[in-house]
Amino acid sequence: MSKLCASISLSLLLAAVSLNAQGAAPSYSPQPAQASVQMPTNGIFESNSFLEMANRVFDPSSDSMDFENGSFEWKGKNFNLTEQRAFRSRFERFLLASPTEDETLYAQLMDDILERLSVSNDNSDDAILDTWELLFRATRFDLDGGNSTIVANQVFNAWRIRKESRGVTMTQRELQQMRQYQQEIVANRALALKNIQQQRIRESSIARRSSESGQSDGEAVALTSEAAFRMLDLAETEAKIIALETQSAATGLQAKLQFQSQIVSFIIQRRFQHALVLAGFYQSIFKGSHQSLEVGKDQLQELIPGSDLAFTVDSMTFIAREAINDVNQGVDAVNAAYSENRNLIALERLQEVFFLGEYLTELNKIPAEQRRHMLDLYRRLIEAGELADAKDYDGVPELAGEIYKLAEDFPKNRVLSAVETAKSMSDMAVFAASQYRNLGDIDKARAELQTAIEIWPSNPAIRDFQQETTKLATAGSQGVQIFDDLYKRDDRRGIYERRMDLGFALAEDMQRRPLLMAVIEQVARIDLLVAQSAELVKQDEPYAAWELLVEASKIDPSDGPMNRARAELAPRVANFVLQLDRANRQSEDGHHAGALAAYLMAQDIYPVSRLCRLGIARESEALMSGLRSALTE
Amino acid sequence: MPVSKNIIYSLTCILPLLLVTLFAACGRGSFSDEEPLPIENYVKKPGDFLGNSYVLRAQIDEQIKWEKGLGRVLAVVIEGSDIRLPIFVPEGVTDNLHVGQRYEMQITIEKGGLIYVEALRKY
Repeated sequence: MSKLCASISLSLLLAAVSLNAQGAAPSYSPQPAQASVQMPTNGIFESNSFLEMANRVFDPSSDSMDFENGSFEWKGKNFNLTEQRAFRSRFERFLLASPTEDETLYAQLMDDILERLSVSNDNSDDAILDTWELLFRATRFDLDGGNSTIVANQVFNAWRIRKESRGVTMTQRELQQMRQYQQEIVANRALALKNIQQQRIRESSIARRSSESGQSDGEAVALTSEAAFRMLDLAETEAKIIALETQSAATGLQAKLQFQSQIVSFIIQRRFQHALVLAGFYQSIFKGSHQSLEVGKDQLQELIPGSDLAFTVDSMTFIAREAINDVNQGVDAVNAAYSENRNLIALERLQEVFFLGEYLTELNKIPAEQRRHMLDLYRRLIEAGELADAKDYDGVPELAGEIYKLAEDFPKNRVLSAVETAKSMSDMAVFAASQYRNLGDIDKARAELQTAIEIWPSNPAIRDFQQETTKLATAGSQGVQIFDDLYKRDDRRGIYERRMDLGFALAEDMQRRPLLMAVIEQVARIDLLVAQSAELVKQDEPYAAWELLVEASKIDPSDGPMNRARAELAPRVANFVLQLDRANRQSEDGHHAGALAAYLMAQDIYPVSRLCRLGIARESEALMSGLRSALTE
Repeated sequence: MPVSKNIIYSLTCILPLLLVTLFAACGRGSFSDEEPLPIENYVKKPGDFLGNSYVLRAQIDEQIKWEKGLGRVLAVVIEGSDIRLPIFVPEGVTDNLHVGQRYEMQITIEKGGLIYVEALRKY
């Protein structure tokens, strides 16, 4: 690790030289590394923004469905939404099902029952009984789920309680008659006792006079005892009457509460038709003064939060009817959106409608073919959402294309753009990690790599980065020997091609490091000249291109790529090369005038030649120098 | 006597003309005696012409170098070709030289293949 840190400057220079050689950047600048200091924040931001976009785009759920809190909001009413997977399962089952004849018959039967219970129709006991019997037909349908039986039982229970209540009322009336009789007896006995006492007072005054009073005392004692018994009987009768009254009241209340409780339960379970049926029976059985709901207040507060209204059976009926109407309108909206190829909107609305009207036959208005199409779209959206969660940026665009085929209102371009942006940010983070690694700043390199992984875990550049890092670590131990061998053979190109490995290996080798740097700079310069020469050839400037190759050959005449370029270009500039070679030979032989003549001829071929200009200046100076010497001699 | 006067008068008129013509003929004749420089061969191998003298008719193209007390190196375009050659004109051979002027030069090939101008005149 210390070796890695020590290679900071060397690696930077290597990187800079490489860039220069490719003509990509004129000189090294620390800006990329500095700029990438901001990368982690940017990367995370980018990652989050992609996920937010993906959550919005790929989430097929309606905005009114909150799976986190498990609630479905409909017109200010919160229904308990089940766990997402369970809901998805039911929704997919619906999309896979086709409307059946049974469902149509069931819908007609339920409409018939509701029609019979309407206040505008015959509400006689016989008519109600006929309607009640229809419930047993309804319960035979699978779609009913046995709820009509519950309704029927509730109604029957209420009728039984009412019958019992009639029996109690008769008993109560008999007891009251008995009480009246007993009250008369008690009152007679009290009057008789009073008369006896008055008579005794009169007789006692006479007896004082005659001393005869024994028989009257015995009658009074007998009357007192009988009155006491009669009073006990009366009290007992009173107690029986009160007990019967209490029992009657309790039984009636229990029936009403059971009815109300079941209505609220049906509303909460979104069994709106059964709620309407039960409410219809309730209104037939109980008086108008018994319409206020006594039970289910907590549940209703949860269903309609923030409401301080007094809940009644009528208000439950209103909610149920409104829900059924809303489902009808929702189904129409879904079909309209589908017919206009707005399938994404159709799917969102369909989910709302499905949840609210899951047990209503109105959903049968959605044809089977349309359901299958929605199912395909629904599955693709969920799959794309899962791929987006997994940040599979190769799979997401492909799936986005498939979704677009199923729903033309799907924002495919937004998805593709977000994917491309995320990929770019991940690549930039990997690049920054490479820079920090080359700088020896392992912590920052690790942070950048982490950012790159967070944005795009399957980014191929991350694997390349890891392989490169491993390779660098391995090359470090063998670098010295490799460098010595290559340098001994004067294989500058070989050294240059292994510059990264050797740079790490020789980071602390003060003897070899300058040699390595010199070779790298030389070869990089050759590469730059060869590249520029190739560019000039493309621009039809062969003589200028040749001059650059001549410059390159002065650095390393044995360089392979440079010599290949010269060999390719030489036929196009043969006459020019001939004069230059002649000039060189003459110059080497000391024939400066001849060299000068050759340079002049070469300049005639390529007037702006830098080589010729320099050669002419050099040779003319040599010429004058020779003449000066001759003159002084 | 008038005859002799006529003869004297005639000689007085013709003699200067003859002298001028003679001098002119003698001057031209000394350059023309030299053979012209074989340009193509010289360019290929100037060392083969060392010590030779030639006549060269050329137009001054540019002055490459000048050194006071020594002379100047000029590039000249050889008459009848597009080839430019360097020549050395020592100081004192002539006063002013201008680009574009045509000269007939008497030259010798010196060390290093140098075209050394011995004399020159405009033409």
